[in-house]
Amino acid sequence: MAATQGTIQPGAVSLGGGSRRRELGRWLFILPVVFLNLVVIVGPALFGVYIAFTDWSGVGSMNFVGLENFARLLQDQVFWKALRNNLVWTAIFLVVPIVLGLLGAYMLTGIRRGQMFMRVAFFVPYVLPSVVTTHIWRYLMHPRVGLGQWLSDTFGIDFLDKAWLGSRDTALYGIAFMDNWHFWGFPLVLLLAAMSAVDVELYEVARLDGASRFQQFRHVTLPSIRPTLVFLLLMIAIWSALVFDYIFLTTGGGPANASEVMGTHLYTTAFERFQTGYAATIGLVMVLWVALVVGGFVYLRKRGWEI
Amino acid sequence: MFRRVLVVTLLLAALGVGVVGAQDGVTITWWTQSAAMPSNIQAVLVDAFNAAHPDITLEMTPQENLNETLRVAIQAGEAPDLLVTPGASFIAEFVDAGLVEPLDDAAAELGWADKILDWAYQSGQLGGVLYSIPLTYESLVLFYNKTVFEENGWTPPTNIDEFNAIAAAAEDIGIFPLTYGNATWQPSNEHLMGMYLNAFAGRENVYKALVGEIPWTHESIAGATDLLRQHLVDDVWYSGGLENYFANGGDDIRVELATGDAAMMLSGTWNFRGIGQFFEEAGTEWDWVPIPPMSDMAGEYGYELATGTTVSVNAQSPNKDAAIKALDFLISDPALVLQLAADVGFGEWVVPVHFGVDDFPEGTDERVVRFFSDFAAVTGEGRIGYTTWTFWPNDPNVHLWEAVENVWWGDISVEEYLEEHERLWQIERDSGNLLPVPAPAMGGM
Repeated sequence: MAATQGTIQPGAVSLGGGSRRRELGRWLFILPVVFLNLVVIVGPALFGVYIAFTDWSGVGSMNFVGLENFARLLQDQVFWKALRNNLVWTAIFLVVPIVLGLLGAYMLTGIRRGQMFMRVAFFVPYVLPSVVTTHIWRYLMHPRVGLGQWLSDTFGIDFLDKAWLGSRDTALYGIAFMDNWHFWGFPLVLLLAAMSAVDVELYEVARLDGASRFQQFRHVTLPSIRPTLVFLLLMIAIWSALVFDYIFLTTGGGPANASEVMGTHLYTTAFERFQTGYAATIGLVMVLWVALVVGGFVYLRKRGWEI
Repeated sequence: MFRRVLVVTLLLAALGVGVVGAQDGVTITWWTQSAAMPSNIQAVLVDAFNAAHPDITLEMTPQENLNETLRVAIQAGEAPDLLVTPGASFIAEFVDAGLVEPLDDAAAELGWADKILDWAYQSGQLGGVLYSIPLTYESLVLFYNKTVFEENGWTPPTNIDEFNAIAAAAEDIGIFPLTYGNATWQPSNEHLMGMYLNAFAGRENVYKALVGEIPWTHESIAGATDLLRQHLVDDVWYSGGLENYFANGGDDIRVELATGDAAMMLSGTWNFRGIGQFFEEAGTEWDWVPIPPMSDMAGEYGYELATGTTVSVNAQSPNKDAAIKALDFLISDPALVLQLAADVGFGEWVVPVHFGVDDFPEGTDERVVRFFSDFAAVTGEGRIGYTTWTFWPNDPNVHLWEAVENVWWGDISVEEYLEEHERLWQIERDSGNLLPVPAPAMGGM
């Protein structure tokens, strides 16, 4: 971090007229990317904001309806249920895969032989397509042919013998479990890389001062990997607003909206009801969520947090 | 060396002229859902059409996610000449946007009204104008495990009393009376809702509700909704209860039926495609019967009308006449249609044209032929029912299958559910977004 701050960026120091030309040259090089961004990101995003104020069906003409869609959003019980589920989802993912990843990575740092194999083994679920993961887990969680039924029949262990995805009390948590299974290898690998970069002398000094393993983790590891950890938390908070595929592929948001999230509600609104204008309004809430997370991140950095 | 180069150049030039010559005619594009595309479509339809029309080249392109892809292509002005939509209710939106070519003149000139089944022809109309042709049709029936029935001396039910008796007998021997689930397709709820509406409330009441002569809160509709809730929630007839229903996917329910864990399955004729494989593996037999009437209001049994995907001509296409020729080629040959349909197990591409028993390819399953023959005879007498995905506008349709789960879980009453349904229908009526509804034979109750 300090090295980056201390690096003199080429061209950062004014060198008169030549500097201005170099600056212009850089802009010319970056211009195609800026143009592309305007066309495929900024333009559609602004268009999306506009259609949130219309009754557009997705094709044909659109009529400006002012704040009608936003008024509907306030009355839409399914939306509030979905928003609540997104918050629950975020809370789960900010804790479970991070804790698992930290524990797994910390334990793996002590392993010399076979570490690469373990890294790959933990990371493989992350690269599996969601359609494959959900298909496998839907059967494992099935109340009649799943793992719970087998454990109950074979060993008399009953507490897992439930319709995890069929009950509205457990559907959201069941999907979160399978998504966690697929996801936790990602934070593990990132955190392991961050931990491997920590200066070993810091641990030696801590040991000389009589620090226990936990104290080393608390006072050496965690502060050293903070940028990676915060990056992960930031990304998880953003991804949790956008969660869609695992829920769409397993319950579609059911039973009775028990696992509905903003993404599935938006999809149904746009592609089943053909109320694209209203769907864009839901999309704006998702954008607002992401903006708040990124805003918080920027604010903390400005306050001097090393993140 | 120079001579050799010259010869090659001349040959390439000649080849180029040849290619240009082949492109002199018109090329028309037709996208279709890849999962529903018959493997023989190139030979049976595309090559045959192109051979019969040397000035036109038909190009059929499969799309993984046709609906979304098509909507994006339309916005970009890159849509194909022939527009395929998932159902009649989808086409209304395209018509509103002026994207679909009216087909009345072509239909009159080419005699399409005589080639297409009457109800299917009507379902392609909006405001009396023909905009689309159904690419497939289907209905809903009662599938049953024939082996289980024969072993227990049961006969397929023909009325609600027999239906209840078999359900009770199935419970007595420790199997589920019925199987179903929505884990892999949440809108599956509407299959059951539609069947109970038609089989309990009856075709006349459903028709009246569709055209606004009675509200959706009518006691017959409420009775149908509550009967389904009772069978699903109170009686736990479907796969052992609500939680299993929500955990079951499409394969699970076929396995339950084929293995004899369940006796019956109320579902669509799209199951003709592939259901035999499950029974073959289980070593059992399947068969089907019409859905038994579930009340006196229902009268004699009938078949629900359902069109699947539809095809229309893109109003922006520069090749409308050629596109119309392609449609006419398809619907003018019942044997060709059945060759395509047979390739996908009669689950898709059953274009609703007038075909007879002799038109079916050799070796077609007797149970399939029996269905299409009986369907034609019964619906010809006006004993028709109405599937939600063919006759409901989008918003009430989604409400029907989505909010009914709240009824099943006890969050809202049947009355509250139907009041909201009626409110959404009223919005559609006020905006004039209703779909054409063929009238049933009246007074048959």
